[in-house]
Amino acid sequence: MRTLSRTGVLLGFRIRQEVLEWSGAWWFLLTLVVQAVVAPLIGLFVWSAVYPDDPAIARYYVAVVLVTLMTESFEQHTFSERIYNGTLSHELLRPQPVVVGVIGMNLAIRGWLTLLGAPIVLLTGIALQVGFDWWAVLRGTPYLVLAAVLVFLWTFLLALTAFWTDRVHAVVGFGSQLIFLFGGTAAPIGLLPDTWRRVAELLPFYGMNGLPAEIAAGTRSGGSLGYQLVWVALLTGIVMVLWRAGVRRYTAVGS
Amino acid sequence: MKLLRLLAAGFSMSLRRSVAFRVNLAFDVLLAFTGLGTAIAAVLIVFTRADTLAGWSKAEFLVLIGTYQLITGLRTTFIDPNLSWFPETGIRNGKLDGYLLQPASSLFLSSLSLSSPLQLIQVLLGVGVLGWGIAAADQVPSVGGVLGWLVLVVAGLVVTWALSVLLACLAFWAPKLQLDVFYHSAWQFGRYPTDVFSRPLRILLTYVFPMALIASVPSTALLRGTRPGLVLAGVAAAGGAATLAALAWRAGLRRYTGATS
Repeated sequence: MRTLSRTGVLLGFRIRQEVLEWSGAWWFLLTLVVQAVVAPLIGLFVWSAVYPDDPAIARYYVAVVLVTLMTESFEQHTFSERIYNGTLSHELLRPQPVVVGVIGMNLAIRGWLTLLGAPIVLLTGIALQVGFDWWAVLRGTPYLVLAAVLVFLWTFLLALTAFWTDRVHAVVGFGSQLIFLFGGTAAPIGLLPDTWRRVAELLPFYGMNGLPAEIAAGTRSGGSLGYQLVWVALLTGIVMVLWRAGVRRYTAVGS
Repeated sequence: MKLLRLLAAGFSMSLRRSVAFRVNLAFDVLLAFTGLGTAIAAVLIVFTRADTLAGWSKAEFLVLIGTYQLITGLRTTFIDPNLSWFPETGIRNGKLDGYLLQPASSLFLSSLSLSSPLQLIQVLLGVGVLGWGIAAADQVPSVGGVLGWLVLVVAGLVVTWALSVLLACLAFWAPKLQLDVFYHSAWQFGRYPTDVFSRPLRILLTYVFPMALIASVPSTALLRGTRPGLVLAGVAAAGGAATLAALAWRAGLRRYTGATS
């Protein structure tokens, strides 16, 4: 219990530190926002052209934009680069789990992206006259929290491959393509052909993006939190195994 | 001729550097396949729900994606390695100083001397998708359509180069302004016909960031027949954009005083 509380305090400090550090990089953060919103916006236009009279499409994609901004993860930059340039050694020597720093930075960046991306979400919503049922949005909150955990675990898992390869950006890029295709950005997964829809509902990517967006948009009244929790447990296990194997393999630059 | 020889020499050196890293080569091939596969899958999903999208059939969409991929491949092969992050690498880190001292056009050296030959995989894949689209189309493209497509693709490439140069030129006045990401984000819209987007965005993608010229317009010419006025407009846009880029570069150089000054 005491360890948990100490970790919480450390995480709080780290988030505060990172929020302040990133506050000077608002232009760069804005570029991240733009990169994040392009794919959902294209999906919005494409599917609105297919179903011009269905307001649920616009509502769903506005929710996807927001979910994307709130769950973006960049561990291939913030963590893998530390393996490549050897500064991970500093983190390993600190009397705290390395992941505290990684999570702290992740949450700080997400906070900034949400703040800077909010006007885009608002403007899109107003332009398309999208109305949300706020009770549905509230119901979507736990799904969103688990989605954020899932995206982090997935990206961190792929970022850990930096221990074995120097092509981590390609690996994470491939992982992002899977989220785009099966997560509900390329198309709401209810619109996928039956076989692909069933596959997508089993994979973790739907829980990272489409599920919380559908709940918040009111196009789905309830979903299985258990499905997200199973994937959280599974990915956490894989991350822990990979982390241990990776650290054993890691040799600091210069050693 | 001298510039062509320089381009060939730069390409040859880059190719030898690239093939030395076989794992990178394998990943680049894999990522090119999956990237294009994802883009095609996203479109094919749409066509399980509709016969046409904004008046475009599946075959026309494939031609569009093929053309887009081809031009994107050429951009990432020849233009991006030079002008991506130009404010950082060219101005602030002083690479431009080195180019200015060499006995060749600084605009050429800054915008075309380096290349990423492995990205040509994207061009090959684009040609493959283009062939798939043509084979799936109801009618075979006419000779005029093919010629119009070729001219418009070249025009699209020139506009792409000119836009990258114009963005790079901004660094002469505002070295900390980095607009590449916005440009590359706008580029993503080129994968779809502009008819899909709402009117304000359509105007933006036609006149400000002319993404329509990259893939939509050449694809229309190939499958629906070439309109001479459209080809002339494309050539004029390319000429205008290239002239503007050259003038902006010259004006920027007059202002430039070196990375360390």
